[in-house]
Amino acid sequence: MLAPLVLWLVAFVVLPMAILAVYSVCQRDELGRVVFSFSWDNYARVFDPIYLRIFARSIGYAALTTAICVVMGFPAAWFIARTSDRWRQRLLVLVMIPFWTSFLIRTYAWITILKGDGLLAGMLHYVNAISAPLELLYTPFAVVIGLVYSFLPFMMLPIYGSAEKLDGALIEVAYDLGCGPLRAFSQVILPLTKPGIFAGVLLVFVPAIGMFAITDLMGGARVPLIGNVIQNQFFQARDWPFGSALGVVFLLLFVATYWLLQRRGAVGVELR
Amino acid sequence: MASMVELRGVTKRFGSFTAVNDVSLSVMPGEFLTLLGPSGCGKTTLLRMIAGFERPDQGTVWLDGTDVTDSPPYRRNVNQVFQSYALFPHLSVRDNIGFGLRMQKLAAAECASRIEEAVSLVALEGLEDRKPDQLSGGQRQRVALARALAPRPAVLLLDEPLSALDAQLRRGMQLELKRLQRQLGVTFIFVTHDQEEALTMSDRIAIVNRGRIEQLGTTDEIYHRPVTAFAAEFIGQANVFDVQFVSAAADGVRVRTNTGLQLLMRSDRWPQGKGKGRLSLRPEKVHVAKEPIPAETTFPAIVEEKVFKGSVDHLRLRLPEGSELLAIVANQSALIARIHRGDQVYCCVHPEDFVVLGET
Amino acid sequence: MKCLRSFIAVGLLAFTSLASAEELNLFAWSEYVPQAVIDGFTKETGIKVNYETFASGEEMLAKLLAGGSSYDLIQPPDYIAEALIKHELLLALDATKLPHLKNIAPEFLHMPHDPKQAFTVPYMVGSVGLVVNTDVVKDPVRGYKDLFQPKYKGRIVALNDNRELVSWVLVTLGLDQNDITAANLAKVRPILADWIRLVKLFDSDSPKTALLSGDVDLGVVWSGEAARLYEENKKFAYILPAEGAHPFVDVLAIPAQAPHVAAAHRFLDYVLRPEVSKLISDEFPYTNPNLEARKLLTPEQLANPASYPKLEKYTTFRDIGKGAAAIDQLVTDLKSSQ
Repeated sequence: MLAPLVLWLVAFVVLPMAILAVYSVCQRDELGRVVFSFSWDNYARVFDPIYLRIFARSIGYAALTTAICVVMGFPAAWFIARTSDRWRQRLLVLVMIPFWTSFLIRTYAWITILKGDGLLAGMLHYVNAISAPLELLYTPFAVVIGLVYSFLPFMMLPIYGSAEKLDGALIEVAYDLGCGPLRAFSQVILPLTKPGIFAGVLLVFVPAIGMFAITDLMGGARVPLIGNVIQNQFFQARDWPFGSALGVVFLLLFVATYWLLQRRGAVGVELR
Repeated sequence: MASMVELRGVTKRFGSFTAVNDVSLSVMPGEFLTLLGPSGCGKTTLLRMIAGFERPDQGTVWLDGTDVTDSPPYRRNVNQVFQSYALFPHLSVRDNIGFGLRMQKLAAAECASRIEEAVSLVALEGLEDRKPDQLSGGQRQRVALARALAPRPAVLLLDEPLSALDAQLRRGMQLELKRLQRQLGVTFIFVTHDQEEALTMSDRIAIVNRGRIEQLGTTDEIYHRPVTAFAAEFIGQANVFDVQFVSAAADGVRVRTNTGLQLLMRSDRWPQGKGKGRLSLRPEKVHVAKEPIPAETTFPAIVEEKVFKGSVDHLRLRLPEGSELLAIVANQSALIARIHRGDQVYCCVHPEDFVVLGET
Repeated sequence: MKCLRSFIAVGLLAFTSLASAEELNLFAWSEYVPQAVIDGFTKETGIKVNYETFASGEEMLAKLLAGGSSYDLIQPPDYIAEALIKHELLLALDATKLPHLKNIAPEFLHMPHDPKQAFTVPYMVGSVGLVVNTDVVKDPVRGYKDLFQPKYKGRIVALNDNRELVSWVLVTLGLDQNDITAANLAKVRPILADWIRLVKLFDSDSPKTALLSGDVDLGVVWSGEAARLYEENKKFAYILPAEGAHPFVDVLAIPAQAPHVAAAHRFLDYVLRPEVSKLISDEFPYTNPNLEARKLLTPEQLANPASYPKLEKYTTFRDIGKGAAAIDQLVTDLKSSQ
């Protein structure tokens, strides 16, 4: 029974990561081919202030994205989970619909909205809300919009899962026993939806650190995040070993995040 | 005496459905009142309006002399035990019971002693550190009870709290609830659809049907003097006859059922000058014998069915003129062993056992 | 997406090789080979073409080196072709099978990346130059120095290509754009840092988009993009930087391990035919190196200043080997410390 699973894990998880780990301690030739001679040089470069700064900025963007996703996603997911059956199905479909089109197409749609002569600018000009040209696209603000937009469903769905399972009577009990709305939220709703929130944080925070397409397309490729740097090693700098070392460090960052969250709450349960 | 809970002309609609229709009710301090009725009759909605989870569309809710119609649940000194228990799964037994106390911001020591008191009240010693999913159904029930009682509410509302327990546990809990209520002197308002439960525990019962209180009275009144066919048939069982007035004499009033059966009943029960009426007769009041009984109202009957119910037997009798009569016979008599399906028996009813019913 | 596409392509390859029909695996830039050309080739020869795409020369190199031995025909830029020739990864072409090679203008043959003209066939030639929206920008812009001005901050689009960025500064400094040394990069650094701060966005895929939408008014872009802009609206002027423009030649070549060498030669010669090469110019208005094909173009096409500019200093990019990593680190550093 276990054998196919083990094979699957070896083929799709262990092997690629092992290759990544091996490459990360190798060198490269003129053309960019990997040369098998051991060295920690690539890791030494990862800890160059240039890249540490980029790691820090990537984490900052990811943290901001995650925070906005929690603040926006929780009420929405909660509302969907607590609404009538009929509406719940429809609203869930609405959350899923963006996944039916390609990620790139959705990102270009945002570019169409935000660009100088785009939809938003047109509307604002029409109602005379602004007179100067709109400077939204190709700013950090646009990057955050793009990240939040892409990852919001990944925050909402696990929170929805927790919220939907929460017995409404528990909230009534809280009210009954003297909790006002705020304390009912902090004492009952929050602790009971925590697994969903943690799962959502994991699903948003980690991929958001490594996201590169949005910084390129909506941020104008002006401020590189760690995903861009890794991508560049393969597609511009011909430096696979260094790219692998960055990838390994990024992976360790993921493991650390997961471990931290697991210690704080039962993420595992929700993810399984 | 001032009432502890009072509903004045309360109406609640959900869309086009009227769940509670102009109900007024007054519950005395320390009273054990049961709202009894079939599912969907509005009894739970009544309870939720007292708790504050629903706001009446019309009428007012009063608690201990104060109008609380617009107060949220957390401002009412009323706690509820939920049908599903609704224990907080993330909290231990101790923290569940102490939840309401923490919200009252009591000192830690006071909290601890009140929790201890509540734990011993419901005999849960030793389980304080367990989580709800490590408890049996009966234990969860006790935690829910202790949690609702710990903040010492003036009124405890119980929404079918025993329905999830098995029969034996349920009987035990019925007695225990009654004992607790006497011991604490707290007003209990108990919702159930189980008439036996209602009779066992209540001081008074309110029979709720289609959003209205059909009859409110002591258990005795409710059982022996049902005022409507619904009340008669919902509590225990009843033989109900539609009858016409025949004659009045010194020994009582004679009436005739629509199948032609002549019955004699106490004249003070029959409303003066009334031509038609509806009677109820409890099946255990029907006396059954193998031989004719020298009494006023005696008829022969055929036993069409005999159902063994443990302590009693249910007999479905067919009377000569065609009507059906249910009789309940205690299993202690030697007589019952000799009665079989298809036998000819004689039954007799006493004039004082007929109750005249009003319209539903 | 790209992964999925290659996955499907590999799947198709496996399937079609079973079917044993003749086929050709073409690995080329996205949006660079017109569908009409591919269809015409298949119609004439019966050879099925599997067109897989890449978005940068380095990406192509990476995939080729990662074991893409099933490619029959690749489309590297000049300096990548040079590296591939140096490392003996290209097959020497059979000139007898390429009679139409004579159509190529002599200045595009025997170039530094393939001095013996033994491994590559020029496909299209372009340049990197300046585009200015002359409706908005009234001051003359002649070179990089005129364009990278503080007054244009936030109004510039530049190619998202680190080597290009560095080369612009090198020629501005009067240095050799192919001389990537630590000393030269140190000289580049302060100037590039200033320039990067002025740029609103970096985009190699479609830099014309931001110019068309008015998000920016100036740009340093591929000449093909500039030609499209000019076709759209004559207000977009294309200027070869006075400091020195560099042309690029995209070539076609056969990898050393290509499985369908004969089919690859047939495709090469097919593309060299004037009427086929014209189709490419129609869709992608770069400089067509095919003189016979140019004769078939309209006067408007030939008059587009971005398609047929007057190049004076004629230095293409050369292979810089490991220098690419140093460039990447420099630009990454500058971009992230603005």
